[in-house]
Amino acid sequence: MADRNIIEIRNLTKIYDLGAIQVPALKGLNFEIEEGSYTAIMGPSGSGKSTLLNILGCLDRPTAGAYILGNDDVAHMSDKELSGVRGARIGFIFQSYNLIQQLNVIENIHVPLFYQGKDISDYYDHCEKLAQKVGLGDRLDHRPMELSGGQQQRVAVARSLVNEPLMLLADEPTGNLDSTTEQEILDILDELHAEGRTLLVVTHDDAVAERASRVIHLKDGQVDKDIRKQDSDRKSENQFQEA
Amino acid sequence: MYALALIRTFQAGLKSLRLHKLRSGLTMLGMIIGVGAVIALVAIGEGASHDAQEEIRALGAKNVIIRSIKPPSMREQMHGDWESFFRRWMAFYGLKRTDATRIKDTVPGVSRVLPMLTKRMNAVHDRREVGCQLIGTFPYYPEFTQAEMVAGHFLNTAEENTKASACVISLSLAERLFAGHNPLAEEIVVRGYESEQVFQVKGILRERADIEKLPQLPGSMGQTIAANVYIPLSTFKSLYGERNVDRSVGNLVLEAVELSEIRVEFDTVEDVLPALPLIDEALKAGRDERDFEIVVPIQEMVALRNQKARDTRMLLYIACISLLVGGIGIMNIMLATVTERTQEIGVRRALGATRLNITVQFLVETLLLCLVGGAIGVSGGWAFAEFREFLTGDSTIVKAWSVIMAFGLSVLIGLVFGLYPARRAAHLDPIEALRHA
Ligand SMILES: Nc1ncnc2c1ncn2[C@@H]1O[C@H](COP(=O)(O)OP(=O)(O)OP(=O)(O)O)[C@@H](O)[C@H]1O
Ligand SMILES: [Mg+2]
Repeated sequence: MADRNIIEIRNLTKIYDLGAIQVPALKGLNFEIEEGSYTAIMGPSGSGKSTLLNILGCLDRPTAGAYILGNDDVAHMSDKELSGVRGARIGFIFQSYNLIQQLNVIENIHVPLFYQGKDISDYYDHCEKLAQKVGLGDRLDHRPMELSGGQQQRVAVARSLVNEPLMLLADEPTGNLDSTTEQEILDILDELHAEGRTLLVVTHDDAVAERASRVIHLKDGQVDKDIRKQDSDRKSENQFQEA
Repeated sequence: MYALALIRTFQAGLKSLRLHKLRSGLTMLGMIIGVGAVIALVAIGEGASHDAQEEIRALGAKNVIIRSIKPPSMREQMHGDWESFFRRWMAFYGLKRTDATRIKDTVPGVSRVLPMLTKRMNAVHDRREVGCQLIGTFPYYPEFTQAEMVAGHFLNTAEENTKASACVISLSLAERLFAGHNPLAEEIVVRGYESEQVFQVKGILRERADIEKLPQLPGSMGQTIAANVYIPLSTFKSLYGERNVDRSVGNLVLEAVELSEIRVEFDTVEDVLPALPLIDEALKAGRDERDFEIVVPIQEMVALRNQKARDTRMLLYIACISLLVGGIGIMNIMLATVTERTQEIGVRRALGATRLNITVQFLVETLLLCLVGGAIGVSGGWAFAEFREFLTGDSTIVKAWSVIMAFGLSVLIGLVFGLYPARRAAHLDPIEALRHA
């Protein structure tokens, strides 16, 4: 599958400057992410997974190196430009769901569109479809407080899809969930992958990594292992698990 | 599109304020009290000054009132020698008719001069006797003082020319002397220390409440005599002589005053102030002591206006200070809110919000606190002012400018004190903010 690359990073370096000491979190990473791929990023604590994901999500800038997202060099963009990229091309799923408490389900799903200048009255149906897609069609006006953890994470998934992003980024998306709920969320992610969406998931959990088509292992801010699985392998594994 | 986004931001702001009703209410309290105080105090101040201005206007802005007063030499302690005793006992002083004519002739812009003679007497009718003030004056007295005829007519020129025994009585005297029945064409007896005269009642006059106090005898200042009997000046002079000798029984003082008061009316208000030195000049001729005082309503009006400007400035300072305190309170709460909602800010930033979006969001929330607080303050202050008017009867006037200023200041406070918390929110590092528990 010679798909086009959504992400290209070259010699990506991040050094946290704490004044007295400098903490190198990423030490010159190189890889590409293809469109439609499902990649898991693994590694021990402190290996730089979150740091990498923050840079890929345009929440942070690398100290050195190149980061091409789509066709644009985003490593040197201004804060305002990065906000635009985040809002238009990236869908975030967080470990702690991070819904906005005073907004209901449909309003939470709409938030990224608001910052793209799109009014909720024009996109209500679109948001409602996404809510139905994650199985919350009957909870549209519920507040996050009134939902279970799994349900909240479903809302977060719907929210990450609302702006038709280039890719979805998730940092430990099932870290706060019990195993049955975890399976439900992972099934939704599988579904999205099947639809052709690009997924990048940071995880400690082998159950998550098993579903991915590629696993990048980080160690001390460097790529330790980069394992690509055949699509068929992955599917057969899944079938085996479900059986 | 931007307008709609701003409206949505306001809606969202209202929503998050409603989420913490009690906190929002307490935060707004400073604003409410500050704005309410401005509205109420300005309304009360305006009302009081309006009432005072009305009173002064009743005296006539085009008028100057000159009254006879006892000169300093007659007020000093008795020395024991005969001359000083005599000067005190038999006091000749005050305005003369020649003063009136000299003013009329030498001061430019004077349209009319109204001389007045007064004398304390008793009015008697049908076995009722009421202490009164006998006033000799000209037919145009009512126009000068803006007094109003209730019945009959005021003294006319014919009566003045023929020295008629005609009189007009004040309404309160009519009520006390005639107790219900019609005084018109009835006769009253005016009884003094050594005289008794009969006058026919031609009319009843309702004076402006404050005017009644003015034509008082020198020496009886501060004592309100509401019972007045008006007779033609010519009649007064022929009956009681050129010099009006007033004997107060009891304190054995004999006072002689030719005119107790001269009212000068000018053509226009503008003529009044430039003419004051000339009036002084005209009166100085032929006297070595200042035995008169000049009351200039227009000057008092100006003084009142200045006083009001000072009061208003004072109120504005107080208002600004209380609004400042309110603003600081709001800023404090907004800073706490920003800290409390750090994670939300991080989420919004991750979902595409720019720093400007975050700034606007928090600025709008502060602005809403101030606007809602301002609105409650305005209605509260207004209601208080109306309630006070209802209770005390003093007029209160809610000024449009005070409402606009209070709102304007609320907005300004919201912008000034909201900007810092909003910018602080906007400049949080998105990653740090997201990690915030
Ligand atoms: N803001 C920061 N300032 C200084 N050092 C940091 C900062 N954020 C991360 N680091 C350091 O960078 C390294 C990588 O951290 P990172 O959070 O990316 O690890 P991780 O792989 O996500 O770990 P975990 O699995 O525990 O989440 C660590 O040594 C960490 O101490
Ligand atoms: Mg991490």
